[in-house]
Amino acid sequence: MAEQKVELFARRLDRGVQQAVHSNSAAGTEKRYTVLGKDYSAPDDLRRLAGQIRQHAIEHLDTYLEQAEQSLKRQGAHVHYAVTAEDACRAVSDILQKAGAKKVVKSKSMISEEIHLNDHLGSVGIESVETDLGEYIIQIDGDHPSHIVKPIIHKNRRDIAKSFEREGLGDYNDDPETITRRARVFMRDKYLQADAGITGANFVSAETGRLVLVTNEGNSRFCLAAPKIHIALVGIEKVIPSDAELAVLLNLLGRSATGQQLTVYTEFINGPARTDRPSGPQEMHVIFVDNQRSQILASDCREILRCIRCGACLNVCPVYRQASGHAYRSVYPGPVGAVLSPLLAGKNFKQLADLPKASSLCGACNEVCPVDIPIPDLLLKLRNRGHEEHAPSPGTPPMGAFAKLASSPMLWRFAMKSNKVMNLVPLEKLPLPYLQPWLKTRTLPEWRGGEFRSWMKDRRKK
Amino acid sequence: MSTARDQIFSSVRAALAPLPERTARPVFSKDVAEPHWLATEADSLTLFQKRAEATGTKCFTDMESCAAWLRSQGVRTVYIPAPLTRLAALCSEFCEVTSNYTRARVNEIDAAFTPAAGAIAESGSIILSDESTPDRLAALAPWHHIALVSRAEIHRTIADALAAMPDDPNLIWVTGPSKTADVEGILIQGVHGPGAQACLIV
Ligand code: SF4
Repeated sequence: MAEQKVELFARRLDRGVQQAVHSNSAAGTEKRYTVLGKDYSAPDDLRRLAGQIRQHAIEHLDTYLEQAEQSLKRQGAHVHYAVTAEDACRAVSDILQKAGAKKVVKSKSMISEEIHLNDHLGSVGIESVETDLGEYIIQIDGDHPSHIVKPIIHKNRRDIAKSFEREGLGDYNDDPETITRRARVFMRDKYLQADAGITGANFVSAETGRLVLVTNEGNSRFCLAAPKIHIALVGIEKVIPSDAELAVLLNLLGRSATGQQLTVYTEFINGPARTDRPSGPQEMHVIFVDNQRSQILASDCREILRCIRCGACLNVCPVYRQASGHAYRSVYPGPVGAVLSPLLAGKNFKQLADLPKASSLCGACNEVCPVDIPIPDLLLKLRNRGHEEHAPSPGTPPMGAFAKLASSPMLWRFAMKSNKVMNLVPLEKLPLPYLQPWLKTRTLPEWRGGEFRSWMKDRRKK
Repeated sequence: MSTARDQIFSSVRAALAPLPERTARPVFSKDVAEPHWLATEADSLTLFQKRAEATGTKCFTDMESCAAWLRSQGVRTVYIPAPLTRLAALCSEFCEVTSNYTRARVNEIDAAFTPAAGAIAESGSIILSDESTPDRLAALAPWHHIALVSRAEIHRTIADALAAMPDDPNLIWVTGPSKTADVEGILIQGVHGPGAQACLIV
């Protein structure tokens, strides 16, 4: 099979990183499997139900988005819309600048990664600190998350200790507990000094306007406990009909993501502080972001919009485990990313059109997906689309020379015969570095070029 | 010029218009996502205690043992809201007690009691609301947080709790201490929130 960019990345990947990603992903898959098996006799029925709930929601997005907007406004939140990533960034900085906010704390959200919010805020002079431990390390390293749920799955404690030392968070110490305590102390001041807290949302209930956020560290709670402004960036597809659906979705999200029945903190936000409930942020802004989602809804791959970002498909994927998240060259890695990233790229689809090919279509991603997304089908549809749009296929060798050879019977005959000399070439000595790892585990069959032709000839004679 | 809102709504409508039919809203019973072991479990209080302990939340049923635990943890300053005088008396034997939670003392106050709005037996979660816990920081910043859970307010299931959510700007279900496994998948407690989560059932 042709060499894809993802596979190439996998082969050059540091062994330690590969092992870390592999074992951590495998452990995630194992935990998910155990907890679902322990709690449910028919987990697949539940996944299918969750899939229907989400499919219903996105197929009625026109109704639910409008309803969510009204509910949010009724609760006292300001509702904004952003068509593109740039619009979304600008919406955030406009709100902050209008309020004179200079410092913000951020809770982990994939959509803010997607729109590159931190870069934008930095460029307009606003300090933005990631508060999730993993995301903070990504931020100080100028790195990118390599997993949806475990952003630093590719780093080890020594890498982190070095980064902390560099950032002035104490002398080198690679004990995970010490690292965590230092982050705790550092973040405390950041929370207390921040003018605004920025979060994402896991779900928004159209009926009640409740915004649901799940975390284990408690950082999102802090972002809503100390600052006076709350900005939530929400992809338009996050809307669900009502709170009742959460019974299904929350039960599957925690178990699929980390093998927990529920994540430690499940937070339901229903508007800003009120006179008799003054503790939270005084202002609440919800920015609904499209950024290609309505186009995906129009496409034959709309099922991907059901995704609740649990990361289970990454953990189970043999390609992800070998290649790690960075191989996917985009914010969303793994099987979900192989579908979502090229679609989110919009008119730059071709640049990521190789991602849907980085899969053996083994189907494991579909089997673990809590909302039953038929990822392999979507990958096939995108492969076709890549084909139709003549996206470059990075792994396929140029066919020019072969075409010439194949269209001239005389040349062909000559090549077939003369290639017998291949049998005498010591392949492992060929100066082709990229072939060597492949050849270590394989041998080529003996060259028997031309035999079919002579066999045909003999047959005709008879 | 059309607004961003108009643009988004018109592309969403345009995307959905050609669909020959749309997936109907699935009808499901409220208990559909209940774990199958739930039916055979004992009363909600016992179940809550069992599930809470399993997720790392310590459960106390009397003030004395709760105070003794805080003492053994070396707590120096505890926040106890005004009406809880007996608890305050017990704690004042070994540490400073304050009924005033201020930002200036966020790093000094290392334990806090706050009343919960309820609990969930199925998951062992504590429910906090802005009404029950008027200062969000008090339940989050100290290393030890002890929620006061009333027996009568324990919901049996997650679905029950969802159906009974009060009107409050913020509800939070707390299921164990704050934790992370970001560094090499190793579990560490007390990242930003409490490293020791407890509840006192009253
Ligand atoms: S596609 Fe499914 S399995 Fe993958 S992250 Fe999304 S919800 Fe989870």
